[in-house]
Amino acid sequence: MATSELLQERRHVGKRYTGLTNRELVAGKGTFVSDIQLPGMAYMAVLRSPHAHARIISIDSSGAEALSGVLYVMTGREAQEHMKPIPEAWNTREIGAKGVDWYALAPERVRYVGEAVAAVVADDKFTAYQALDLIEVEYEVLPAVVDPEDAMEPTSFLVEPEWKDNILVTRDFHRGDVERALAEAEHVASGMVRSERITGVSLEPRGSVAQYDSFRDELVLWESTQNPHPLRTFLAETLEIPETRIRVIQPNVGGAFGLKQPPFQEQPLIAYLARKLRRPIKWIEERDENFQSTGHSRDVKFYYTVAFEGDGTITAIDIKVIADVGAPTALLGWGMAFVTAYSLPTVYKIPNNRIHLFVVVTNKCPWNAYRGFGKDSASFLMDRVIDKVAHETGLDRSVVRLKNFIQPDEFPYPQSSGAVLDSGNYPAALKRVLELVDYEGFPKLQAQARREGRYLGLGIGQELTPEGCAMPGAVMISAYDGATVRVAPSGDVTVLTGVTSPGCGNETAMAQIAAEFLGCEIGRIRVIQGDTETCPYGLGNYSSRATMYGGSAVQIAATDLREKLLRVAARMLEVDPGDLDAGDGHVSVRGAPDRFVAFDQVVNQIYRHTFGEFAEGEEPGLEATRYFRMGNIYHQPEKQGRFSNYPAWPNGTAACVVEVDPETGQVKILRYCLVDDAGTIVNPLLAVANLHGGITQGIGSAVYEQLAYDSDGQLKTATLMDYTIPTAVELPLFEIEHQETPSPFTPLGTKGIGESGVGAALGALCSAVENAFPELELRLDELPLTPSRVWRAIQDARAAGDVR
Amino acid sequence: MISYEIEFHAPTELGEALSLLADRGDETTVLGGGMSLMPMMNLGIVKPEVVLSLNHLPELEYVREDQDRVYIGATVRHAQVLRDEAIRKWCPALSEAAAVVGDVQVRNRGTIGGSIAHADPAADYLPVLYAYGAEIKLQGKQGERLVPADEFFIDVMLTTRARSELVTEVQIPKQPPDARAAYRRLARVEGSFAIVNAAAVVPAGFEGARVAIGGVGSHPITIDCAQFLRDQPPEEALRAIDGAVVEASAGATADLHADSEYRRAMAGVLARRAVGGALVELGR
Repeated sequence: MATSELLQERRHVGKRYTGLTNRELVAGKGTFVSDIQLPGMAYMAVLRSPHAHARIISIDSSGAEALSGVLYVMTGREAQEHMKPIPEAWNTREIGAKGVDWYALAPERVRYVGEAVAAVVADDKFTAYQALDLIEVEYEVLPAVVDPEDAMEPTSFLVEPEWKDNILVTRDFHRGDVERALAEAEHVASGMVRSERITGVSLEPRGSVAQYDSFRDELVLWESTQNPHPLRTFLAETLEIPETRIRVIQPNVGGAFGLKQPPFQEQPLIAYLARKLRRPIKWIEERDENFQSTGHSRDVKFYYTVAFEGDGTITAIDIKVIADVGAPTALLGWGMAFVTAYSLPTVYKIPNNRIHLFVVVTNKCPWNAYRGFGKDSASFLMDRVIDKVAHETGLDRSVVRLKNFIQPDEFPYPQSSGAVLDSGNYPAALKRVLELVDYEGFPKLQAQARREGRYLGLGIGQELTPEGCAMPGAVMISAYDGATVRVAPSGDVTVLTGVTSPGCGNETAMAQIAAEFLGCEIGRIRVIQGDTETCPYGLGNYSSRATMYGGSAVQIAATDLREKLLRVAARMLEVDPGDLDAGDGHVSVRGAPDRFVAFDQVVNQIYRHTFGEFAEGEEPGLEATRYFRMGNIYHQPEKQGRFSNYPAWPNGTAACVVEVDPETGQVKILRYCLVDDAGTIVNPLLAVANLHGGITQGIGSAVYEQLAYDSDGQLKTATLMDYTIPTAVELPLFEIEHQETPSPFTPLGTKGIGESGVGAALGALCSAVENAFPELELRLDELPLTPSRVWRAIQDARAAGDVR
Repeated sequence: MISYEIEFHAPTELGEALSLLADRGDETTVLGGGMSLMPMMNLGIVKPEVVLSLNHLPELEYVREDQDRVYIGATVRHAQVLRDEAIRKWCPALSEAAAVVGDVQVRNRGTIGGSIAHADPAADYLPVLYAYGAEIKLQGKQGERLVPADEFFIDVMLTTRARSELVTEVQIPKQPPDARAAYRRLARVEGSFAIVNAAAVVPAGFEGARVAIGGVGSHPITIDCAQFLRDQPPEEALRAIDGAVVEASAGATADLHADSEYRRAMAGVLARRAVGGALVELGR
């Protein structure tokens, strides 16, 4: 087939193109939501709950309304009367989980600090915020549920009084006979592992500009979002207006990381107000609002028991997962807990396993999608378990991993959750990263450093990052996407995609794929994304899907056009289309490169000589819209015997070297190596850039980041002074290699790389810090590795050692 | 978001500023570089009605020295503190501290007087001022007074400055030429506030050697090191200093980044490292 032949002589796919948007972004010439200025534009400010749980007794907005320049004050009652509840992103109730009616403003009760209570629209931002202070809300403070394990007690206060408990959903995945295997095991170990509540910090917070054009009866929303089309669908449902009367435009996005996936309260709110007031309105989120209400992640606790043999073979594992997903809303974040359970026991073949998931609601900020999407927590747990087994058996950490890996010839590999792992070569990635980090030479280096009073440690982390999620019934979450490829009479090419870019460069990959399969020069291609009026319906970016699905759609659309171009060129050159090759602006005869016609000449025949001899019989036009549909999705368990919603399984192995200051507990990362396998890489330069971000966010959550609540449910870390994120200063140069095990289900073999790099960092860093003290029984099973936590662990281990 | 109107004054002469404080000091908040006040106002933590900016007062932007002291005007910015020749020569620990205040933007904007008057217990300058025995000059319309650093700071963000007064100058006594000093800080990431910090001044003969430690309480504590350094080898002396500091730091502040026990232990470690740093400079 033409595709496989092309793959042997790739011109653009696999090349290190710099990002198409680099120039404008580096020059500060991008257009972000806050750059949009419309004539007569008003400003919206949102009043948020100061309480973790309270009943709204009354709201007096008369003072705010009396302020000069205030156009409107809206409260939850109006939202309830005039708007539908916000549709659920993750289709909660259809998959057996509990849900709530969530309105654009809370009408009766607030369930977390930061939930929207009222909105002010004023002539300017200053007046809007001034008016916020004048709104008087009388609250009856209710008891807040803050700890997930307390929340699981039958005596706990309820986050939702309509529910009988605080459990949103449970899942129980089984394979084999765990109880028996544990009872008969040679060795058994157990432990608790916990990853801290964190969030992604995008440079640009959320923001919207809404404008209603009464002449066209059209509502336009410029939104810093990842998913313009699904957002439009959600807005139509919430506002009860035809979907075609809404246009959502995504300008440049200054980072999203999953957290800009709709539907938020502010989106229908600003859209409703712009229609009602017939004024364009802007809202830009403040940083403290971002911390309080955009969404959190992680906050997962695991209890595990593992059975193993003396040679490191793991025979059984029993895992209890407790996820504190905060208050229930329409956001899709709680799905991360499901994915954590679903991904276990990750890359390992464990004949007997049980994964028991409890998704618990509390009076904290709801979860929202964040890079890693729960796969990070699963990888972290397994890294901790493997290191534990290595410690107990006295075997090397790499040996235990190699012993239990699913082998390259065992794919597709079904896990107990229903997951079917598509492909991979875990042993090769591990072996390669150990070479990169000089695993064999490390003990000598470590001993030498110790003689100089320096404590070095080496850690290994293994990540499995299922991608390309599809949820039945969820309009935003599916395993397909669309693209239009349009060649103009000049030969210039427009590529319009249903996927979007949050600023990480997938538009460059789209151009590469289009140029590859169309046969034109890459400079001829313009990529347009993020506009529901011009782009084909598509689901945007999340689950590392943009290049995998959007790129595949571009490929098949471009291939359609290529076939037409080759047929016309064949007539021009008087050869068979099968004898032709197209690339870099020429269509030439295979084996006779001097016999060619220019790409533009062929296009010219199709547009200007539609009825001439070469375009005879061809449908006019050079435009194709095609959709790519992913294989390996199982949504019909009755028929297919399983439910599996992730088709692609990128993975990677990290090895890092740290220096620990035993007196202060400070961890300095000296080296960080990653061998990443995300299938075929379309642009190695941008793939590595993506990994830099992923690894940094992984390290951030492993060592620095922590969202803390007090016992009343007040968020104590709502500024960047308190929420510590690392910068380039704290990081080493990353040493990254790709291993390319193609996906059997995408035409190029791509698997998605957007979330790679995060998960392995957690286990690798814990492992490295422990390894810096081989003489101590040091266990670091809780994140983040703050200096005080590491210091205390060292003190405790030393004290225990003295006792022994 | 500052969502109310503020009466803003930016006098160009010191006299004007002092007059305003004399008349309306109680309702006036002084703005130096704004590196603490502006975020606090943006977050709504403080809501001053009247703001007096010192950013147009060239009179306070100087570094001078005489035989006994270095005199630093209140509006000298951290970036100048870290570069100034006289400061580097006579109070190098102050330069070291200035070099790690916040980030580049903060150092270009924030002022030494502002940092001192704000009196955040985690501020980098505080232990350095204690260790050097610095004095703070307060000026009012009626006159001026010099207050030793260890009397100036009373509690968290509370000083002896009357609301009618302005911090106009910091005076640092010149140390004996054979004295050496060092500053050390412990922080989560570059740019974040120190959890604990310490400054040491050690003369060659150890007489008057001292270390001041910030971050354990509302203001720094000072430990006389001469007694430890005089009669024992440096390693033992440093261990003893560590112990003395831990002893003196009982009830250390606890917050999100460090509990009391950790802070206390770190006070000892950082004091030891600061004194150790000065000893290395001395060639011991």
